[in-house]
Amino acid sequence: MGVPFEALLPYAVCIGMFGFSGATLSKIRAMQNGGKRARHSVDQWDRQMMDRDRRLTGFLRGQTDNVKAPAGFELSNPWRLERGYT
Amino acid sequence: MSARQPRFNQHLLIDTTPLPDSIPKVQEVGSSSAPLLSASYFIGARCKAYNDDYMQCKTEANGKGEMDCLREGRKVTRCAGSVLEDVNKSCLEEFRKHWECLDNNNQQLWQCRKWERPLNSCVFEKLNLEKKIPGAPENETPVHLRKRQIFAHSIMTQ
Repeated sequence: MGVPFEALLPYAVCIGMFGFSGATLSKIRAMQNGGKRARHSVDQWDRQMMDRDRRLTGFLRGQTDNVKAPAGFELSNPWRLERGYT
Repeated sequence: MSARQPRFNQHLLIDTTPLPDSIPKVQEVGSSSAPLLSASYFIGARCKAYNDDYMQCKTEANGKGEMDCLREGRKVTRCAGSVLEDVNKSCLEEFRKHWECLDNNNQQLWQCRKWERPLNSCVFEKLNLEKKIPGAPENETPVHLRKRQIFAHSIMTQ
């Protein structure tokens, strides 16, 4: 008596659909994050460090281990302003 | 007009005026977040005195620390730059593997212990810098030396 595989086919379909959508979402997230896994639970410190990474490398998730910063790095941190009302 | 909290999210101003020449120039550290996190305990091991000086100066300055503590800040920057330069010269491969792992794992140190152990031993041999967690209780093994990391995702990377 073999395994009744016709009965298990719907389970295979469900798992396949879930797996396909999970894999697609994971690939989309990796493409959005430069080939890396997405960051989660990002707090203000992490946002500030990611902003510094963007000033250093040009990408939000770019990383470099140079010792010296590129020229003009110390001047590239902007003042954040509000438009005034008169 | 009643006063409301300012919302600084509308406009950016980049001021390109450089610092005056009376302030000595120091090269800023050029590493981004993952290599800095990876090397942070080694920077702490070598630069503890300068870092403590800077933090004490900022605490005592009562708001004027940005201008008054520039001298201590220059020392901190130079020391951190020297640690990064030494790690780059001696342990580059292990260092790169560790911070690439950290970058993939939301900058969580406990996911990447597998690559941290060779880095720690290499840095200890070549540069004599040991990673110590300040404030850890003395009678337990520190978290980075434990065999099993209870929050890690997979057992392969522990």
